[in-house]
Amino acid sequence: MNELRRDPVTGRWIIVFLDKVPEPKDLMPEHPNEKNGSASCPFCWGKESMTPPEIIAHRSSGSANAPGWTVRVVPNKFPALRIEGELDKEGKGVFDMMNGIGAHEVIVETPDHFKDIADLTYAETEEVIWAYLSRSSDLRGDKRFKYILIFKNYGKVAGASLEHSHSQLIALPIVPKRVKEEMEGAAKYFDYKERCVFCDIIREERREKDRIIYEDENFLAFCPYVSRFPYEIWILPKKHMSNFTDMERECVPCLARAMRDSLARIKELLSDPPYNFIIHTSPTDGGQREDYHWHMEIMPKLTKVAGFEWGSGFYVNPVPPDIAAKNLLNVSVAKNEKGR
Amino acid sequence: MPELRRDPVIGRWVIISTERARRPDQFLDSSVEQEVLAPGEKCPFCEGNEDMTPPEIYALRAPGTRPNGPGWSVRVLPSISPLLRVEAEMDRHGRGLYDIMNARGVHEVIVETPKHIPESEIQSDQIAKTFNVILDRINDLERDHNIKYALCFKNFGTAAGGSHIHHSRTQIIGTPVNLKRVKEKLAGAKAYYDYKDRCIFCDMIKQEISMGRRIVAESKGFVAISQFASRFPFETWILPKRHSCDFYKMDRSDVPDLAELVKNIFSKLRNVLGEFPYNFVLHTAPFRRDAEKKHYWQTIDLDYHWHIEILPILTRVAGFEWGSGFYINPLPPEDAAKALREAKT
Repeated sequence: MNELRRDPVTGRWIIVFLDKVPEPKDLMPEHPNEKNGSASCPFCWGKESMTPPEIIAHRSSGSANAPGWTVRVVPNKFPALRIEGELDKEGKGVFDMMNGIGAHEVIVETPDHFKDIADLTYAETEEVIWAYLSRSSDLRGDKRFKYILIFKNYGKVAGASLEHSHSQLIALPIVPKRVKEEMEGAAKYFDYKERCVFCDIIREERREKDRIIYEDENFLAFCPYVSRFPYEIWILPKKHMSNFTDMERECVPCLARAMRDSLARIKELLSDPPYNFIIHTSPTDGGQREDYHWHMEIMPKLTKVAGFEWGSGFYVNPVPPDIAAKNLLNVSVAKNEKGR
Repeated sequence: MPELRRDPVIGRWVIISTERARRPDQFLDSSVEQEVLAPGEKCPFCEGNEDMTPPEIYALRAPGTRPNGPGWSVRVLPSISPLLRVEAEMDRHGRGLYDIMNARGVHEVIVETPKHIPESEIQSDQIAKTFNVILDRINDLERDHNIKYALCFKNFGTAAGGSHIHHSRTQIIGTPVNLKRVKEKLAGAKAYYDYKDRCIFCDMIKQEISMGRRIVAESKGFVAISQFASRFPFETWILPKRHSCDFYKMDRSDVPDLAELVKNIFSKLRNVLGEFPYNFVLHTAPFRRDAEKKHYWQTIDLDYHWHIEILPILTRVAGFEWGSGFYINPLPPEDAAKALREAKT
């Protein structure tokens, strides 16, 4: 018998399979994420001139837009939104539109063409997080932008157009729908209970324990009870905080460990599947909110979204999250400071 | 400069990208893989293989033929791997802050033709038969008080979640709860009606017909448009010109006209895209039974308008879309409509 579960934040229902659970090998991609390497990859050392000039970079040697960097942030060469200009909104009959003002940046996470975050050391992953923090803090100052979205597409199926591992940042002139839904759901819960729904989820997951795959003093990573996708993982700061950029300095190494280990487990168990991850944080206006809690969602792309999901907003997840967590914990990941 | 467009009903924004813009003919290499059956594998949906499926729920049959034998033109089966099941009793409970329900409902498969032929070869009279069967099934499901909504959809090609067996079929899922995606549409349409006293879809149809730029095709009773805030390249909506919120109450005499238009649109799409993966989703009002009518949905007959969405799956939904609910569409819908208008059928 399948079971329907309701997400306590957004009210979205999922269908989870309880009797016919596929093995990890049944979900593995037919065409694994093989990287061929490319002499013309714009994200490799020596190809810096192929991207627009860098916005920031971490480097121990060399000059700007030259090799020697370890993390590099550049404007997207084919941006979905453009940074120059003033916001202009108009309506035409029933239709509303505005011009596409925004920022679209690319965070190249490593100079190594063949590595993903899963293969980095904890220290290297920290650098990536520092780049996220520094770019979002900077863009939060721009009054035209209402929301800053950091995400990653890994593998073709998940929407990556280049092999070389990178994340993206998009600053938007409006608060996007998915975020609004989450904020509204969290606000409603807070109105009713005077507690943050995400703090309650952390309590519940820690009490039940079965779905936790990582925990330290600052972060918790688990397969949420209402997972939309098989092997979906959420990472939450244990201390209530609505805004990603307000994270304290000493938390960064913990997040790096949680993130790198979660991705390494997925890579190991499911033989390098395509995935997306997204940092959910509060909009740029307003300070700390009591009712919202920033977090990161990692979604391996092992199943296809089909007509049923489009029509219903329901998701079908063939792997119950407690089984996903058990399988993820069964693989070993390099616990030391070395990457792969 | 890219343009942001807002879906007038649900408020979803779409980025019509100019930097990554592509021409209509650049989507031609869409990938529907060849149908390959495993050695010894037979298609369970073909006429003559009826014993390979669970017993049929319903079929259009030639007089004198027997259930679960040959002689049918459209056949309805319970799904072999149902997401929801008929038999169970409804059970709702909580667990901490989580709400749980057992998966009670129905999941049916409508086999659209007895012959194993490419979809492009199915003629409009056969499509009309399928629509009539869909109407029959939804009318029947309306009588089951545990079912709140009947979702009719189709997946074609593995990129769109379809199976490796290409034998043409549609699915119906009857759900025990109202669906989030449906509620969004209903809420948006009601908000507009409360404000203007008019149906937003009727307004949209009027505006599109008078502008003409996004019209793909038109028939006596229906219009097909590349919707203003299309999420996907070549996303096409079909709406009845006459206001009606319930698909299942459609006048049967309008079915041939709708089938003809659907056939026409798919030939145009195939002409531009080749064989392409897609989802087809029917949006209609939820079932309304007396007890529920009293509270909300008082104006649903006036504010909501059924429609069909055809979603070609030519681009990937990526992290940005998942995180924002925003879509990036590299093809302005005006260009899609123009290419489709000019395409041969």
